[in-house]
Amino acid sequence: MQQLQQDIIVVGGGGAGLRAAIAAAEANPKLQVALLSKVYPMRSHTVAAEGGAAAVTLTEDSLAAHFQDTVSGSDWLAEQDVAAYFVKHAYQELVQLERWGCPWSRKADGSVQVRRFGGMKTERTWFAADRTGFHILHTLFQTSLRYPSIHRFDEYFVLDLLVVEQRIAGVLAIQFSTGQLVQIRAKAVILATGGAGRVFHYNTNGGIVTGDGMALAYRHGVALRDMEFVQYHPTGLPGSGILITEACRGEGGILLNKDGYRYLQDYGLGPETPVGQPKNKYMELGPRDKLSQAFWQQQQLGLTGDYQGHAVVYLDLRHLGKAHLASRLPFICELANAYVNIDPASQPIPIRPAVHYTMGGILTDINCQTSISGLFAVGECASVGLHGANRLGSNSLSELLVFGKVAGEQAAAQAEQANIAPFSAVAGQCQRQQSYISSLFADSCSDSSVAIRTELTLAMEQGCGIYRDNAGMQLCLNRLQALKDRFQQLKVTDNSNLFNSALLQHLELGFGLDVAETICRSALARTESRGAHQRLDQGMTTRNDTDFLQHSLALRQQDGSAAISWQPVTITSLPPAARHYGSQASGSPGNDTTGSSQ
Amino acid sequence: MSDKPVSNKTAPGPYQPVMHRYWWLQHRYFRLYMLREATVLPLLFFIGCLLYGLYCLGQSEAQWQGWLAFMAQPWVVLLNLLAFIASLFHAKTFFELFPRVMPLAPAGFMIAGQWLATLLVAAGLIVILGGWI
Amino acid sequence: MNKSISIARYHPEQDNQPRLQAYQVQSDHSTSVLDALLQVQQQDPSLGFRWSCRMAICGSCGVMVNGIPKLGCKTFLRDYPDELTVSALAHFAVEKDLIVDMQPFLQHLNAVKPYLINSEQSAEPHRQTPAQLAKYQQFANCINCGLCYSACPQFGLNPEFLGPAAITLAQRYNLDSRDQGKAARMPQLNGKNGVWSCTFVGFCSDVCPKKVDPAAAINQGKVASAGDFIISMFKS
Ligand SMILES: Cc1cc2nc3c(=O)[nH]c(=O)nc-3n(C[C@H](O)[C@H](O)[C@H](O)COP(=O)(O)OP(=O)(O)OC[C@H]3O[C@@H](n4cnc5c(N)ncnc54)[C@H](O)[C@@H]3O)c2cc1C
Ligand code: SF4
Ligand code: FES
Repeated sequence: MQQLQQDIIVVGGGGAGLRAAIAAAEANPKLQVALLSKVYPMRSHTVAAEGGAAAVTLTEDSLAAHFQDTVSGSDWLAEQDVAAYFVKHAYQELVQLERWGCPWSRKADGSVQVRRFGGMKTERTWFAADRTGFHILHTLFQTSLRYPSIHRFDEYFVLDLLVVEQRIAGVLAIQFSTGQLVQIRAKAVILATGGAGRVFHYNTNGGIVTGDGMALAYRHGVALRDMEFVQYHPTGLPGSGILITEACRGEGGILLNKDGYRYLQDYGLGPETPVGQPKNKYMELGPRDKLSQAFWQQQQLGLTGDYQGHAVVYLDLRHLGKAHLASRLPFICELANAYVNIDPASQPIPIRPAVHYTMGGILTDINCQTSISGLFAVGECASVGLHGANRLGSNSLSELLVFGKVAGEQAAAQAEQANIAPFSAVAGQCQRQQSYISSLFADSCSDSSVAIRTELTLAMEQGCGIYRDNAGMQLCLNRLQALKDRFQQLKVTDNSNLFNSALLQHLELGFGLDVAETICRSALARTESRGAHQRLDQGMTTRNDTDFLQHSLALRQQDGSAAISWQPVTITSLPPAARHYGSQASGSPGNDTTGSSQ
Repeated sequence: MSDKPVSNKTAPGPYQPVMHRYWWLQHRYFRLYMLREATVLPLLFFIGCLLYGLYCLGQSEAQWQGWLAFMAQPWVVLLNLLAFIASLFHAKTFFELFPRVMPLAPAGFMIAGQWLATLLVAAGLIVILGGWI
Repeated sequence: MNKSISIARYHPEQDNQPRLQAYQVQSDHSTSVLDALLQVQQQDPSLGFRWSCRMAICGSCGVMVNGIPKLGCKTFLRDYPDELTVSALAHFAVEKDLIVDMQPFLQHLNAVKPYLINSEQSAEPHRQTPAQLAKYQQFANCINCGLCYSACPQFGLNPEFLGPAAITLAQRYNLDSRDQGKAARMPQLNGKNGVWSCTFVGFCSDVCPKKVDPAAAINQGKVASAGDFIISMFKS
């Protein structure tokens, strides 16, 4: 087994990981930073983000307004100190990215342009055409090349954390190209491994978004917080789940059911806004959870259309005209053309909700520190507490940057004063993993990871979908248990060493099963409806602040199952109120969400 | 790592592809490219003829007459005709590619100028060729 | 519908060179080459290939389809009614099946200092008009898929050639109104493996899935390089 030593290890080369690595390198150029990623950094799924990144920019906007939108969007489950820190630092991070070369879209006078985004009261979303994540990721990746202290380990798959007495000691990884196990010891480790959308069947996520980091931390006793909150994006392409950005609606796109009716007005998002005049927080610019739920309701009423066997509604962009579409939404035109064979200038695009984002994740404090000393987590894999029960679109790209920087700096501070654990302290753990991997191989196996994975994703889709009920989730839990048992027997039949994807898929499936269970158990335990978690059971269809103005924490038990406990929410300035959109929101203009109607 | 997944076999390493000598025959795109490059040959011949003609002119009347007779031979005419077509083809591919090469603004202007120049050259060629035939 | 596809397999532990193997896959109107490869992987888990986003933006899934470089996730079986052969990207060393060694590509990218060089500090963004943005925007859309390198015979003949994507990236920053690093990048572009290695075959731009038009970038680079040369003559 190869052994290496570094000062800091960053696991993940997406937006969060790269930002953290750069921050660490800037904080102290003497520290050696290892950047491990299971794919080349520019393949990370940050690349797929289309819409934009939020920060208070216009003079008529204010930090308080962004804060309010974020907290009310979260259905009051956001940590308010975290949200306040976030809105305060988002702007400077987007400027930093600009100064590193990010090609933000501009106004005629050369200043940065901002667009509308769902759930945000004012225009404050920076964008780079409809390839914002792509440009952010490539800007960060290219900028990272300037720092000699950042050492990339591309295509290294982390399979375990090395922990000694509640202190992080390093990671254990497989080098994809050789199959070699590599042990890297370090003084601080940052997990930035992204979300877990792939445990659901229909999702907007790339194949690599399998929840690895969450499971890595969870298996070492770190709590996963708010895992029941899984965001469905209302506009994914049928079948593939490929995302059609919310910016389409920000630009004025409308949603129609099979009869051509703008059904959102029936679900508390009206009154209907005139076509071509989108209005923040109304109709199509309502928050994602409400929009996805409206789809479900329409499906129950039989008002959805059909696209090759998938229930769909329609996103109509025709009135925007070819030229506008080509300049503002070129990528969307390309995607619609390629994947559903439709020109958005002349036909509405069939769409349906798809799992998009995991609000929950590895529990950290405001400094991105987990309960294991020296272990940090940031980005979609983490729950620093910004998104609560529902994330607002365009908050998470900014989160990667704001907290990526925090994590990097904190890890650097940690690395300056900590010592490297001696090899002897981790030898046993490495040995165990080594024999575990060896034991996975066999010449044949009647089961397959593809079969188990498919059943896993279907079980989650059916049990923990847009609307949930007790019976459905119990069933889901039973199915997960059965799948876990099957997984124990599963073998890897490709026994080659080089580029063994079968082995990695096997390990990812194991991570996914753990994460899925935490989602399902947290959802079962939350017997109310809030944000993205909506229950159909009697007495649970509304928000219940008396009992559930709390975060769920999933902790791994001795027997491998998850136990749920509760953690109070930090509320600093905005007491819980009803979440209003559409005309209900304008009851108290300016501070519509501060009224304490509940 | 002792046994799995580390090999005890010495891994033979990646396969290094070799460029086939006739790589350019593989695609239509490369064949066209080679054709474009090959247009140089008849053009070279044409230039050679011209230079030789100039040389003859400077020598004696007899040599100049000899050159004219040489130029009137059918195969020479054919080759020069080929050179003419080749130059047109080259000009066409050049102009297709040109606008992309220049950063946007000056390109339009340059293009107009270049077309003018080609037209002049082509006209000149036609006059000369016409004289020979 | 059933469709047969051939895949060039290469396992360094067993093979001396790639060999074609045929597979049957289910195909409908929306089946991409990537979908087909995933199906084959279910039959044979040892098939190696890269992918992630399945939406033509991460740049992982480049392969040769009937000898032309393509993104697997943006190439559809519906467009290949006859035979369909998938092999590893040309001009790169094949590590396993459809996985190639991308290291040379990354080294070339790295060589051109592909980041904004500008020492000025400020808490506010630069101004950049839409027209200034438009100058380089297209060249900033490269997803690093490497298809252009597989289309470039000059790279095939000389792997040291910086190649289309790297030169495009250099050009992207050189044309950026906020950048001051052109002087630092030109030596690479002027050098023997820089822009002048390009003979304007133009196939790179044809295969680019993002319409980046690297051939244009390289030839703009030639203009810049020539300018550089003339200026340096006057200086000396
Ligand atoms: C289609 C789409 C569109 C979106 N649009 C927007 C938007 O417009 N605005 C917005 O704010 N947010 C948007 N989001 C959300 C946002 O893009 C993501 O939350 C964010 O990019 C996640 O970044 P990350 O750095 O945490 O993770 P990722 O970018 O997913 O990176 C994870 C990294 O971890 C590595 N990794 C994972 N597991 C391992 C392992 N076991 N070993 C080694 N490395 C590992 C991966 O290789 C990768 O480099 C969108 C999301 C999607 C899916
Ligand atoms: S220029 Fe085009 S073909 Fe070349 S790597 Fe970039 S996106 Fe791919
Ligand atoms: S899978 Fe990402 S580009 Fe094809």
